[in-house]
Amino acid sequence: MQGIKRFLNQLRAKSPWLLHFDCGSCNGCDIEILACLTPVYDVERFGIIHVGNPAHADLLLTSGTVNHRNKKVLANLYSQMPSPKIVVAIGACGLSGGVFREAYNVVGGIDKVIPVDVYVPGCPPKPEAIIDGVVLGLGKLQAAREADEERKEV
Amino acid sequence: MDIRALLTAILVVAPFGGALLCAVLGANKTTRSAIVLATGAVLIASALILAPQVPFRLSAASFLGMDLHRVIQAADAALLLIILYFGFKHQHLTIIALAALQLVLTAYLEFFLIKGPLPVERIFCDHLSLLMVLIISIVGSIICFQAIPYMENHEHHYHVAKSRQPRFFFVMLLFLGGMNGLVLFDDLTFIYFFFEVTTLCSFLLIGHDRTTIATRNALRALWMNSVGGAAFVLGMILAYTATGTLGLQKFLVAPWLAGAGTYLLALALLCLAAFVKSAQFPFQSWLLGAMVAPTPVSALLHSSTMVKVGVYLALRLAPGFMGTLLSQSVAVFGAFSFLAGAALAVGQSNGKKVLAYSTISNLGLIFACTGLNTAASMTAAMLLLAFHAVVKAMLFLSVGAIEQHIESRDIEDMRGLYAVMPLTALITVAGVIMMIMPPFGVLLSKWMAMEAAAQNLYVIVMIALGSALTVIYWARWAGTLMSDPFAGRFQPEHQPALTWLALGPLCIGAALLSVGAPWLYLRLIAPMMTGPYSAAYAFTAGGLENAYGTFAILPLSAVAALGAIVAAIALKRAFRAKIVSPYLSGIQTGEPSMFRGPMNQAVKAEAKNYYLDTIFGEARLTDWVNLGGGILLTLILGGAL
Amino acid sequence: MILCGLLAGPIIGGLVSGLDRILTARMQSRIGPPVLQPFYDVVKLLLKEPQVVNVWQAFCAYCYVAAASIALVLFFLQSDLLLIFFVQAVGAVFLVVGALTSTSPYSQIGAHRELLQILSYEPLLVLVVVGFYLETGSFKLADIFAWPHPLLLKLPFLFIVLGYALTIKLRKSPFDLSTCHHAHQELVKGLLTDYSGPFLALTEIGHWFEVALLLGICTLFWATSWIGMAVLLAVTYFLEVLVDNVTSRMNWRWMLSYVWGVGLTLSLVNLIWLQQG
Repeated sequence: MQGIKRFLNQLRAKSPWLLHFDCGSCNGCDIEILACLTPVYDVERFGIIHVGNPAHADLLLTSGTVNHRNKKVLANLYSQMPSPKIVVAIGACGLSGGVFREAYNVVGGIDKVIPVDVYVPGCPPKPEAIIDGVVLGLGKLQAAREADEERKEV
Repeated sequence: MDIRALLTAILVVAPFGGALLCAVLGANKTTRSAIVLATGAVLIASALILAPQVPFRLSAASFLGMDLHRVIQAADAALLLIILYFGFKHQHLTIIALAALQLVLTAYLEFFLIKGPLPVERIFCDHLSLLMVLIISIVGSIICFQAIPYMENHEHHYHVAKSRQPRFFFVMLLFLGGMNGLVLFDDLTFIYFFFEVTTLCSFLLIGHDRTTIATRNALRALWMNSVGGAAFVLGMILAYTATGTLGLQKFLVAPWLAGAGTYLLALALLCLAAFVKSAQFPFQSWLLGAMVAPTPVSALLHSSTMVKVGVYLALRLAPGFMGTLLSQSVAVFGAFSFLAGAALAVGQSNGKKVLAYSTISNLGLIFACTGLNTAASMTAAMLLLAFHAVVKAMLFLSVGAIEQHIESRDIEDMRGLYAVMPLTALITVAGVIMMIMPPFGVLLSKWMAMEAAAQNLYVIVMIALGSALTVIYWARWAGTLMSDPFAGRFQPEHQPALTWLALGPLCIGAALLSVGAPWLYLRLIAPMMTGPYSAAYAFTAGGLENAYGTFAILPLSAVAALGAIVAAIALKRAFRAKIVSPYLSGIQTGEPSMFRGPMNQAVKAEAKNYYLDTIFGEARLTDWVNLGGGILLTLILGGAL
Repeated sequence: MILCGLLAGPIIGGLVSGLDRILTARMQSRIGPPVLQPFYDVVKLLLKEPQVVNVWQAFCAYCYVAAASIALVLFFLQSDLLLIFFVQAVGAVFLVVGALTSTSPYSQIGAHRELLQILSYEPLLVLVVVGFYLETGSFKLADIFAWPHPLLLKLPFLFIVLGYALTIKLRKSPFDLSTCHHAHQELVKGLLTDYSGPFLALTEIGHWFEVALLLGICTLFWATSWIGMAVLLAVTYFLEVLVDNVTSRMNWRWMLSYVWGVGLTLSLVNLIWLQQG
């Protein structure tokens, strides 16, 4: 039973579907994220598909700094994703607001709105770094699920 | 007295009696309801008791001491005079002309052409008649039962001062008697009389509400059906001159089948009368106009029974024109109607008009099967006749209930009806499923029809196209009814008991009938496959099978039921699942289907159905299909010459 | 046989889907996912938390899979081809009705586009089946499989017509209006937008059954030898993927007029040949 569960968890990690939300970035990170989909980096090798509906997504990739206008949207999208889910914040803006930290409309980091699992620093981070961050997140997904199961059994 | 004669008499005369009682004693609601319920019960019982007695032939020489033929002649003349009266009352030249024409022609037929007394062995009930009697008596009675609460509501809604329900039920019951008479007699003059009875009843019922549009549409129905009547009389005259008899069965098995000119023309004219009665193109406008009538009228006359007179006639006449150009042209015409009706239904958003076009379409398919004139196609025709009558009646009745509740007939207003009227919405969806999906009867007959038509390229191409179109308008409607962000529990729905009494048996009955299709085939249809038709199908391994096709009805029904149960369990589990808002780009508010729009205002996300008006709209297509129908009719009549 | 059909559907459908993705990727100078990727996707979806917009979506998703699997099983049981077509159509209708139960415009418009797609390919599939009947004299699969000559030689145009129906059913460009596969998006996910988690997995499994069924119908065109069947399937599927990658998505008006125009003409010509010959 344990073996099957672990096997199924591994399968889950082999099929991460991605929702990308731009929380008001300068599009620098967006360009790098989209570059990951191109033949040069080809993230489909990992089974990653870019979906449009949060209900289909496992991963939320955010770029840009969330502001007071679209924080509700971000929260909405996050709540619409079925669990298990992880959030990866891309770029300096996602971590803390980046260079726009002091602006009046900037909330200052994604984690002020939704829980973040992986931070990928950079301005913008390279595609390799982004892929690295996503893979780290997948590991967290697997581990978190296993921890959940163990807690249920205890 | 012979039980069969007694039952035939009851089936034809009892409704007339019930009608008179309604007219006389019907002012009181309870008495009226009792009379209708009693008449219905008597009809259902008689039909069921009659079933094992079939087939039989009886003589009917006299009625209450008078020569029956004279009685019918007199009644016929009286009927035509009544129609003439209505023509004068409304100053409608066409009706006056057609009624006068029919009077003249009938007089000519009766007094100058017919030499010697007509044979008295004129009651003929074979399995096709029995099928029709069962439909008329059972489905017809159920519709009348539902009409009781419906008309109460109807008159309440329209603030009718003095109830006209006695008159309404008088005509409804009269109609049932007339229909039974039509199918139980063999003599063309009798059939003509009852044909005219149904025309008059249709006129009276369409115009029941006495509004301008109702009267106008009733007059249109009257004159178009009178065209059919005139064609019928002409056909009778030619038939008599060609063969010297007016008894249908004799008429069809005699040596003149080789096709003397006037014989085929007679059949063609009778077919024309049939086409008019079944509202085929270009005569469809009367049926569309008839949709303004109260819904029980639409259910009874204009979907399950009166319009079936046309196909019944064609089925009777089919052995007569087997193998002729007439047969082929009827097949092509029927297929054309099937396609055109389906196309026009796609462009409609008025629920009753969708049902009307669908009826025309299915009747066209039955005509096509009749024209193809093989054992398999005739089987398909009769099965479709039976199943369509039941399912369409159910659909009309549920649309009637819906229409009274939401006060609209438009499909767009029925969006999300499940939240308001869950049980009725589900019954309607069940009706839609029974119309288009296997293993149910309508699809079974369509499958049979397609297999039978496969050799005939004109017909099969049109049927294939029409069949695809039917999926669109039915699926669209079923989805719209259920289109509601459902976040609550099932609300119990309140309807009068008689409504459930009508809808429930029809729904369950249709399903059971579908499962019982093999036995329906064996008991009622296979015995009809005599003479020029050989047996079409064998009942093997739970399904109907022949040399080139097989439909495993029982196994499929079992598996489908299993699938439905699994899906239902999933549905129950889904109630415990997380219910979320539909995807609205992340800007949804808490309310169902609302999103945050400009200036942070909540806006409702709306989408309407595709009606493709520019392609399939009534305005766009009607002239073309009328032209097409007209051309094909000319082909039929000309080809028969 | 029944078990064979029930297992073959997901296995064949899934593997074909995986090969599809790899082939598409290679055509785009990419590497592409592993061949078992569709199975990983479906398992992941099945393990997700169930969430629905309307509880009836669950009902409709199950009915879709049920109908698609029954159609494939009937195919394995060598039943009547026209019946199989109608059973498969049941599934398609339930998918549409399920999508219509959600009020999101993406779902609604996707559902209507799907209805128009159904309108485009249904008559053509019927005519292909009629073609089989006219040549072999039977609708029953047992008779068609037993036919001594490769049917492709007598029904070449009908094979092309089947190709159009296949392109629409497999949701390939230029006919992928109602919903897209792989990484494409149209109307977000169109018809399937509001299906998620386990129910989306079910629609995918249903789609696999349908793919297996349609490829099965393709094999009927060269039923006399296994190698012929394999070659035909490989060539056909390769062409489908090629067309998908080379064309762009068009609109429904073009689809309906083009598919009906070309499809009906080719069918009629072939059917007339069969009748006269």
